[in-house]
Amino acid sequence: MMQWLPEDVSPYGGSIDALFYFIYYITAAAFILVTALMIIFLYQYRRDDSRRAVYTHGHTGLELVWTIIPALVFIGLGLASKSIWEEVKLNVPETDVEIRVTGKQFNWEVLYPGPDKEFETDDDYQVDNDIHVPVGKPVRVFLGSKDVIHSLFMPNLRFKQDMLPGRQIEAWFQANKAGTYEVPCAELCGFGHSGMKGTLYVDTPEDYAAWYDKRWPPAETNGGDASAAETTEEVLAGGAVMDAETMPEPEAEPAATEEEAESAMEGAADSAAQEATE
Amino acid sequence: MSEAGAAAAHDAHAEHHELGFIRTYIFSTDHKMIGRQFMFASILMLIVGGLLAMMMRWELAWPETAVPFTSWISEPFMYPADEDSTVGAVEGLSEFVDPFPGANFAKSLGSVGGAHMDPAFYNSVFTMHATIMIFFVVMPFMVGGFGNFLIPLMIGAGDMAFPILNMLSFWTAVPATIMIVYSFFVEGGAAAGGWTMYATLSADPTLSGVDTGADLWVISLLILGVSSLMGAINYITTVVNMRAPGMTWFRMPLVIWSLFVTAILLLLALPVLTAALGMLLFDRTMGTSFFMPGGGGEPILWQHLFWFFGHPEVYILVLPAMGVTSDILSTFSRKPIFGYKAMAFSMIALAFLSWIVWGHHMFVSGMNPVLGTAFMLTTMVIAVPSAIKTFNWLGTLWGGNIRFTSPMLFALGFVSNFVIGGLSGIYMASTPVDIFIHDTYFIVAHFHYVVAGIIFGMFAALYYWFPKIFGRMMNETLGKVHFALTYIFFNCAFFPMHFLGVAGHMRRIYNPLQYEFLHDIQWWNVFITMSAFCLGLSQLIFFVNFIWSLIAGKKADKNPWEANTLEWTAPSPPGHGNFETTPTVYRGPYEYSSPLVKEDWLPQDRKLGPEVVTASQ
Amino acid sequence: MPRGSALAAGLPASQLSTHETPEALVAVPGYGGGPPPPSIPQPPVSNARMGMLMLIGAETMFFAGLIGAYVVFRFGSPVWPSGHLYLPVGITWVNTGFLLFSCYTMWKAMRCIKADQQQPFVRWLAITVLLGSIFLGVQGFEWVQLVHDGLTISAGMYGATFYTLIGCHGLHVLAAVLWLGIVLLQARRGKFSQQRAIGVEICSMYWYYVGAVWVVLFPLVYLN
Ligand code: HEM
Ligand SMILES: [Cu+2]
Ligand SMILES: [Cu+2]
Repeated sequence: MMQWLPEDVSPYGGSIDALFYFIYYITAAAFILVTALMIIFLYQYRRDDSRRAVYTHGHTGLELVWTIIPALVFIGLGLASKSIWEEVKLNVPETDVEIRVTGKQFNWEVLYPGPDKEFETDDDYQVDNDIHVPVGKPVRVFLGSKDVIHSLFMPNLRFKQDMLPGRQIEAWFQANKAGTYEVPCAELCGFGHSGMKGTLYVDTPEDYAAWYDKRWPPAETNGGDASAAETTEEVLAGGAVMDAETMPEPEAEPAATEEEAESAMEGAADSAAQEATE
Repeated sequence: MSEAGAAAAHDAHAEHHELGFIRTYIFSTDHKMIGRQFMFASILMLIVGGLLAMMMRWELAWPETAVPFTSWISEPFMYPADEDSTVGAVEGLSEFVDPFPGANFAKSLGSVGGAHMDPAFYNSVFTMHATIMIFFVVMPFMVGGFGNFLIPLMIGAGDMAFPILNMLSFWTAVPATIMIVYSFFVEGGAAAGGWTMYATLSADPTLSGVDTGADLWVISLLILGVSSLMGAINYITTVVNMRAPGMTWFRMPLVIWSLFVTAILLLLALPVLTAALGMLLFDRTMGTSFFMPGGGGEPILWQHLFWFFGHPEVYILVLPAMGVTSDILSTFSRKPIFGYKAMAFSMIALAFLSWIVWGHHMFVSGMNPVLGTAFMLTTMVIAVPSAIKTFNWLGTLWGGNIRFTSPMLFALGFVSNFVIGGLSGIYMASTPVDIFIHDTYFIVAHFHYVVAGIIFGMFAALYYWFPKIFGRMMNETLGKVHFALTYIFFNCAFFPMHFLGVAGHMRRIYNPLQYEFLHDIQWWNVFITMSAFCLGLSQLIFFVNFIWSLIAGKKADKNPWEANTLEWTAPSPPGHGNFETTPTVYRGPYEYSSPLVKEDWLPQDRKLGPEVVTASQ
Repeated sequence: MPRGSALAAGLPASQLSTHETPEALVAVPGYGGGPPPPSIPQPPVSNARMGMLMLIGAETMFFAGLIGAYVVFRFGSPVWPSGHLYLPVGITWVNTGFLLFSCYTMWKAMRCIKADQQQPFVRWLAITVLLGSIFLGVQGFEWVQLVHDGLTISAGMYGATFYTLIGCHGLHVLAAVLWLGIVLLQARRGKFSQQRAIGVEICSMYWYYVGAVWVVLFPLVYLN
């Protein structure tokens, strides 16, 4: 069973996996015990007309034993789970990497705050389905949705969080190994749910710097308000060379949106998508 | 028996000969006929639900290839396929298909009336599959069918407390059933939001593209709620007021206990769903926004309301199967049930606890993490009564004299599946682990082991009480073959879903190959699909057996299994009014191998001779 | 009487596996032997009453669901207009009076039939039906006004919760009035008597219940 758990690259994934295996051993033991007993009894006490069944209505002592032991095990599991849950959910580490991911049918809209580290300013950068984060650093992510409930699922990070329309949910993750990972949607969100996914790019410090500088060239970031718009344009242009599909503002150009939708659904749902928009 | 009950039995008896065809078979007020009606209706729906499952499985194993035998379904649900869209021809798919012996066969099948499934239709298919299986198969079969048939017979009453209400309960369920099936044929197709119908997807027709279909879904469940309410009122009243003389609470068979507790849960849980459905319907049709944040609503409120109903609902589904299993295990082990009171009280405990665990479906929903911890702890507690039941079943087997009849085999199969389903529940109850496995196939595996596992309880009950219901025996050999195939293919179909879930395979997706990280495990999907087809085909044996036995089965005696409970003292099948004379109950239901008598069974109503009674004083 | 696993507490399973009849075992009533307990007496709550209680339980869960949702919205919203802003609270106070008084008249009617006084019984029933109808009429009038003033079900959460809650209650009152109307017709034909009053009685239970729900809803929706 174990080799199928996807590789874990998160700081807390180890504890989650350990808990998983712990439960696995307990439940496997319980399963073997019960199944073995059942098979033995079924064999041992199969029909035999020369014999009469044991006439008993129970045994309070035994019943107490098999009530109390499971209860203790479950309580133990509960307490173990509680501490790991708190490690994941409540101990949010400090960080200066922040992104916003907003679900919409059927893409992830990713918003980077830019050098000023403030959302909803001119130097924000918005793109669909590409999440760039530096390796080994905690990332604070603000989750929301524009239409229905989606769920951001990063299997290798042991991360899953529903995104609710009308509410912003704060969460965090950290990827300790560079690479690219798929980011599927885990909550049914409509006809394009299957195939709704983005990519998580976990960049080495150099790659991250390169990506970052492409979007926000160091010289321009010090400029005043007047140059900000220009900068963004340049950034967009620069990005377009590198990654033609995902660059333009999705809201501004419907054609681009459709293209993206198509690529995200890998042509599968596109006929349906087009029909719905027609 | 209460006077009212006796009077009812008497009236029913007197009328017996004047009833025409319609009053006997259609608008019958006889609990046995109503039970049979529920059973037949749900077996029909079982076929519908099963075929839907087969379509899904095809899609998952060989995504975006032509699904055989579906070209009769119109656009925009299924699209006509051409030659090169069958399994063999789709580019890149052979890598996932070829290792399998059955794959070549599958390749050729796709060209037999094959058509492409639209992804939106796939959503409708799994939504309707779940809805039908839960609300129109398991509930009507176990609660409507066996609840009706067994309660009066096993407590020694002539009929239900409110026979007319009982008839109405069935005839309200009928339009609900028709409506849910009809919703496939309306513009936009059937509901596609999952059986959980999470808002906002469900609350605004433009978001899912399904309009009338989802309205019909809501209305159908609203009507079904009324039907269940009538049933629940009837069952509770009957059990409380109409027990035969001597039938004290703790002499009731456990299956009656289970149906009684189920009825209480039904009574209290369904109205909550009704309230939520009402609000959903207003959101969809009247322009309110209870669940739409745009107008100040709360999407997550739907989840709270739904699961507040939903968790009791899963016990509504499983408790009757547990009761049936207890009775059958005891009968065929020729041994009293181990720890009768513990069994009864653990069902009561499950019923109470099921009201405070609903949040375990919402660990990653955005609910406060502290609440998550609280719900995890209550969920751990509710696992204890389940453990008690399992061990007591084992205790019942211990020291028995076990007869492997087909009902016994199915009951054992239920226990075995319940053990797996219960244990997998523990993974998900653990909040950190659930972060990963929530909304994956692990959940799908879990609830199929428990909910689809109930099918084993259904079969056990049907094989066991068939002689009483229809007056004929079912064929034992066919029954055993049916069990063996069902058991094997059930496990082949559902166990590997745990592996898929652990690998991160999401539920409710129609093409796993859209995700690279799922490519390596796609062969499991193929394996599961082939097992599922075999599971489906194995049921043909059941249908043959069922129909053949109905027509030509061996005539059944009063008490073919040498069982103790009261229904076996009535004729097979019992006439109007059930019993010739109201039985008197002298002991508990599980006096097998009692040292008081020579036989290894001692019916509840058998009055022992003076010598034994004197010996006891 | 000790039944259930009490037996096992006293006797280890190993001792029970013998074929003979252990004395102790036979003495445990409910299992092996022992005389049957006296037959179950007339149930303390008759079928009809029991059924009605059950219906009331289910209705309570239904209203609990709706009220729960209302409370979430009411206390979860930053601003929530006070009932006094939109609703004709004064009239509704009076209307509440009608409904509560109808519960009293219902009770009077029950007392009369229990004393086998047919004439006053029918009279009190008629008054009850009348009061219930007045309540519905005033509510209907109020709704027309509200819709006229722009408070519709789709005009935001306030309207939505108001019409849903009060509307559901109104439907229940309507059902109760119709039912009581039928009971009244039957009563005029002399169907009920001291011994045969169950039909009125369960109807009265429902009537009281509908009044009781109003006692919860009125302060919750109108008075804050
Ligand atoms: C040992 C006792 C059980 C435990 C600890 C348990 C635990 C859970 C948990 C935590 C979930 C939510 C998982 C998630 O969505 O992430 C779940 C889902 C589910 N359980 Fe259980 N469960 C138990 C027994 C049962 C039984 C007896 C049934 C039914 C007869 C059942 C039916 C279901 C169903 C249908 C779902 C999935 C609902 C959905 O999302 O569509 N469970 N269970
Ligand atoms: Cu999705
Ligand atoms: Cu649950």
